[in-house]
Amino acid sequence: MDELEILKKDWKEKGQTEPKLSYNQIYNMLFKRSTSIVKWIFIISILELVFWMGIFLITPKSSFEVIEKLGATPILYGFNILHYLVVFVFIYYFYKNYTTIKVTDNTKTLMRSILKTRKTVRYFVIYNLVAFALTIIIINIFYYTQSELLLQIMADSYGSEIKNPDDFITVFFIVQVIAGIVMILLLLLFYRLIYGILLGKLKRNYRELERIEV
Amino acid sequence: MNKELEHRFVTQLEENQNIVHKICRLYTNNADAHNDLFQEITIQLWKAFPKFRGDSKFSTWMYRVGLNTAITLYRKSKRTVDTQDFEGVSFKISAEEYDNTEEVQLKLMYDAVKQLNDIDKALVFLYLEDKNYKEISETLGITEVNARVRMNRVKEKLRTILNP
Repeated sequence: MDELEILKKDWKEKGQTEPKLSYNQIYNMLFKRSTSIVKWIFIISILELVFWMGIFLITPKSSFEVIEKLGATPILYGFNILHYLVVFVFIYYFYKNYTTIKVTDNTKTLMRSILKTRKTVRYFVIYNLVAFALTIIIINIFYYTQSELLLQIMADSYGSEIKNPDDFITVFFIVQVIAGIVMILLLLLFYRLIYGILLGKLKRNYRELERIEV
Repeated sequence: MNKELEHRFVTQLEENQNIVHKICRLYTNNADAHNDLFQEITIQLWKAFPKFRGDSKFSTWMYRVGLNTAITLYRKSKRTVDTQDFEGVSFKISAEEYDNTEEVQLKLMYDAVKQLNDIDKALVFLYLEDKNYKEISETLGITEVNARVRMNRVKEKLRTILNP
């Protein structure tokens, strides 16, 4: 006899002896909070969207002043408009994908829609990291071409003469580049962690389902 | 919230709670985790209930939501440690002190099923619940042929675990 048939027989007998919860016990569960990963993905995604939009808002006014004095304001505005258009498109897709997650779908479809939703947010993060890196590069190239003017502005705002202009410029750029790289690495690490914790199991199971289909 | 809807839902779930318990038994290793998963499945069922049209049986619908929750949505809470439930194991064996080969074999089989990955567990579960390959394939979202092929592999896997 097939091994599983033996198991099936026993399974059915044991099935009758499962614990029984009362009507009230079940009723009370309706009001408990869900720990579903979909909920967490939604919360974290919203936080990410807010975080990246917030970054711009909390940038100190003084850093805009430098840009303004260097005459780059129109470029900055142009980038901003473009940036918000992109943000809007991402939010739209995020919302659209999120609403397609249905626990009543078959397992594979459900997993696919969760991964798709998460992917949208991941692209949003990648977009922001790239935009962030590009901004640093562009600004620094711009600073570099205008280093005379930059020195002047810096000297004005610190209220004292800069003694070694060449050294100052070198240190200034090295600090900018290192700070930029560290920021990006930290963010990447952070996302790796969150992504790994939340979606590790789901991805594993999804791959398993895909393997069956080959 | 609609009291009548709540009542209808809880009554039906109470009647069919066996299905959820069985899923929990397969996917968790201790009582805490069992209760946790039961609760999460209940919440997911309840959230989906307003859209339940009744064009399929309540129990059929439960299989899908229950398995989806266990495989995809459920995250273990911290307090439930994922280890073998040694206490339960030794208890069962000492209760069956006389040498009963079928009992031993069953015990080995349950352990073997528990070692399977989440997807294979789902296949075995639906099979044990007398679902045909059409239903199995529809629940998991794979083709019928592939469900059959995979099931045969799982059987083989179990066989080798039992007869090394």
